[in-house]
Amino acid sequence: MVTKRFLISFAASLVLAFGATTIAQEQAPTDADAESREQFRSLDEDVQDLKKEVLDLNRDLFLLEEELLFPANSQVAFFISMDVGEYFELDSVNLKIDGKEVSNYLYTEREVGALVRGGVHRLHMANLKTGDHELIAVFTGAGPHTRDYRRGATLMFKKGIGAKYLELEITDRVKKQQPEFVIKEWE
Amino acid sequence: MMKMKNLLLGLTLSVFAAASLASSGLTGQAAPDFALKSSNGDNLRLSEYRGDVVMVNFWATWCGPCRQEMPLLDELYSRYERVGFRLLGVNIDDDSRKAMNMVSELGVSFPVLFDARKEVSKLYEVEAMPVTVLIDREGTIRYVHHGYKPGYEDKYLDQIRSLLRE
Repeated sequence: MVTKRFLISFAASLVLAFGATTIAQEQAPTDADAESREQFRSLDEDVQDLKKEVLDLNRDLFLLEEELLFPANSQVAFFISMDVGEYFELDSVNLKIDGKEVSNYLYTEREVGALVRGGVHRLHMANLKTGDHELIAVFTGAGPHTRDYRRGATLMFKKGIGAKYLELEITDRVKKQQPEFVIKEWE
Repeated sequence: MMKMKNLLLGLTLSVFAAASLASSGLTGQAAPDFALKSSNGDNLRLSEYRGDVVMVNFWATWCGPCRQEMPLLDELYSRYERVGFRLLGVNIDDDSRKAMNMVSELGVSFPVLFDARKEVSKLYEVEAMPVTVLIDREGTIRYVHHGYKPGYEDKYLDQIRSLLRE
């Protein structure tokens, strides 16, 4: 009798122990899942932080590069603008500073459209010493009656201390029904 | 034993040669931007095709394989143009009239650009003829092929399709 009771209690304890193990086993993966999810989240955050740092670094490098390559004191920037553009369809601009070609820019239809709508294009940036310099800009395109048109504009300018900005403006001269090319110095 | 060694050496060299034909230092880099005058008189700028899969094919009138390849490229262009595939043929001849003659002779329809100053060819390190560069929608160079052999068009087809699907 005692042996029977002992056997029953032994079997019951076995069942309990087995149940406990199963519960423990069921709980274990849930914890592991949560942990791995947490790890994944922190990894994702790390990646995002890293991405932000890379972007910041990229911005800093860009600014530094600009400051080093084009220090404000020797900086000269050349801009192109267009007013109406009825008598001239721009194709390209060739820029020479002191006899040396520095830019030969081809304009696409879309870019010309942007200029006609009032956009200004920074054609070139350079570092120049203080003193006198010569700028020659040659504009090619289609003139009145869609004939090939090529015109040059020259400007002698003085580079002082501080940055300088020059605007090459294409305007329509209604009286003459011709385009006009003017180089302006920004004050 | 010696024969075996030679065979292995030959195999290794041919694997390297094949790898160098299919890849280039430019692969994975941002495609250098350029603007060139096209055969219809418009100026075309590569960056304006951002968002499309672009194939840039450098060719010359004196290059036999180019003559073989161009009609096949034109077929790819006609088939995939409507789903965002652009093909720009960059001719490097000094005289653009020769190129125009060849274009009309072959009857290809894709835009042909003239790089008489060889500036764009230098940007893309063109050292063989033809050179075919595939650029993805993000503007990254994904594949560079030097030269042309029959069957390359199948590779182009697979690569274009996979880039269009991205």
